[in-house]
Amino acid sequence: MSIQEQYRSRAKELLREGTVKMVIGYGAGTTPLRRRPIFITSPDDADRLVLDAACRTNLAGYLLREGLLADQKSVAVFLTPDGVRTINILAAESQLATEQVIVLGFQIDGENARQLEGTRVADFSGIIAERKKKRKEQPSHEVARKLEQMTSVERFSFWEGEFSRCIKCYACRAACPMCWCRRCVVDNNQPQWVNTSSHTLGNLEWNLVRAFHLAGRCVECGNCSEACPVNIPLHLLNRRMTEEVLTAFDYYPGADEHQEPVLASFRKDDPETFIL
Amino acid sequence: MTKILYANDLTACFSLWRKEGMRVLGPVSKAKTSGFGEVQDAHELDLNLVLTARTLKELFFPRTEPMFSYSIGKQKIETGEFLPSENACIIFGARPCDAAGMAIDDELFNWDYRDEYWFRRRDRSVIITIACKESDDFCMCTSLGLAPDSAKGSDVLLRPLASGNGWRVEELTPKGGKALQPIASLLKEGSEAAAPTAEVPLLFDLEACTTWLADPENFESHFWKEISERCIGCGTCTYLCPTCHCFDIQDEGDTYEGIRRKNWDSCSFQLFTMHTSGHNPRATQSARWRQRIMHKFNYFSDKFSVNSCTGCGRCTRECPVDMGVRETLQAISTLQK
Ligand code: SF4
Ligand code: SF4
Ligand code: SF4
Ligand code: SF4
Repeated sequence: MSIQEQYRSRAKELLREGTVKMVIGYGAGTTPLRRRPIFITSPDDADRLVLDAACRTNLAGYLLREGLLADQKSVAVFLTPDGVRTINILAAESQLATEQVIVLGFQIDGENARQLEGTRVADFSGIIAERKKKRKEQPSHEVARKLEQMTSVERFSFWEGEFSRCIKCYACRAACPMCWCRRCVVDNNQPQWVNTSSHTLGNLEWNLVRAFHLAGRCVECGNCSEACPVNIPLHLLNRRMTEEVLTAFDYYPGADEHQEPVLASFRKDDPETFIL
Repeated sequence: MTKILYANDLTACFSLWRKEGMRVLGPVSKAKTSGFGEVQDAHELDLNLVLTARTLKELFFPRTEPMFSYSIGKQKIETGEFLPSENACIIFGARPCDAAGMAIDDELFNWDYRDEYWFRRRDRSVIITIACKESDDFCMCTSLGLAPDSAKGSDVLLRPLASGNGWRVEELTPKGGKALQPIASLLKEGSEAAAPTAEVPLLFDLEACTTWLADPENFESHFWKEISERCIGCGTCTYLCPTCHCFDIQDEGDTYEGIRRKNWDSCSFQLFTMHTSGHNPRATQSARWRQRIMHKFNYFSDKFSVNSCTGCGRCTRECPVDMGVRETLQAISTLQK
């Protein structure tokens, strides 16, 4: 049985026995190469689920949509290990209870989707620990290396150029499962902390605020870069932040649901060398 | 016999226009995206694109634009104007759906008030459109009553020659005629055949859709939630739509000194209709998606007798979760049967 078949029957079973009220997965899209998020609530519809290498979106963010989990019922979601890390972070940040989440785990290896064993997020901690190790050894992105070699003035002008295209749609924010704030800091107008206009300053402010707020929280799922309509390489910023946090604190976001948020917690023995 | 413009002469054309003091803009692919930009040489153009990712509307309605500055002193209040003052321009190589979109937006910007920011630029630009000989999986002009060679909104229409060497030139408006004068010496008489236009399949029955939308019974239908459940409210479909025109007025600065700006805004955003009290009449994403569809195919057409959509397909092409006007209207037309 293909992984798709297995998960279809798994989804059917979960819905039929009432373990979950909904399965969030992927379905066929407008063209043969596209997939789209779908929400299955009846066992009869489970055959619409698709699982293959084209299923790239991190679906975890849908769990926080419009009170979905408010009734304490459970939902099953198709998640890659990065998706599971997302759930861990959201749980650590008190945005959801992991008891309400059933994981349909998978991983894309080249052209194939591979099944990952496990039902609850905790079942994936081994896989995630493995990823952390790999992440540490992973060489930086080629462009990132080039950026590192630039002077700060050159680097600034690189980003200024990239951000000049930003149209401030905030699609990167909407697509990011970590951007769960009910009211984003940039939407506050009393006072207006960040310019709403999409001019040089406004774009720079927005993109930097976004990068900072995701330091130690980003799971590198790629939703933001994928959503950006003008293809700004947002992942370069996020990856840089991830590497920073990994080196400075040996911290890998979403390692498990009890891991404290790195920039929202402190230890008495923190060196705090940057505080005067 | 008809006038032919050969591709080899394009750069010479551009210099002739520039000599007249006009800027030349066209579709360019740059920095991993595509849109309309100023060009000197024909080689800078990307005429093979089915459609640029970003639309023509940005040339007339930039994503942010200063309207006026203000400063309030003890004795006096001063304001300064920022009306657009760019040179006249030739927009070479627009697509019929984008050009039509500008004509649709004209209605809105000249409705209860003539928007000078829009019209100063519109009046000083000439749109030279190239008919499409290719389309992609998302194009749906024909379903919206347009075609790959529609004239709507264009001043000149170019039909690609079957040989691929140039275009047959059709003058559509006096403005277009005037723009062709300086390059008259480069337009050759000829009878070369034009390439066939793209075949864009009909995807839905527009009339059935608008009838369904006009029925108040359907306003609260379950349909809306089902069709838009995956929408993340990212606004991409509106920012990249040639006809979406909503904007927000923002003061940058403080009470005493600053600049008032006109910034793009989108009905997909939660904040768009949020009241100061915290109440939001469009509290859910499905209500916001319904608004986008209703505005385009009901309210706008009620007021201006034209739908606010040209079928460019960008809302589906660029949506990160594969939604778009296309799926919704296709679904509505099947509901009808
Ligand atoms: S910032 Fe981008 S890559 Fe990181 S979690 Fe958010 S959407 Fe995913
Ligand atoms: S998605 Fe891209 S264009 Fe939109 S706000 Fe984010 S960086 Fe800017
Ligand atoms: S329909 Fe798609 S592009 Fe439009 S707001 Fe929703 S998710 Fe974004
Ligand atoms: S609604 Fe969609 S198809 Fe219609 S004009 Fe706008 S982007 Fe194009």
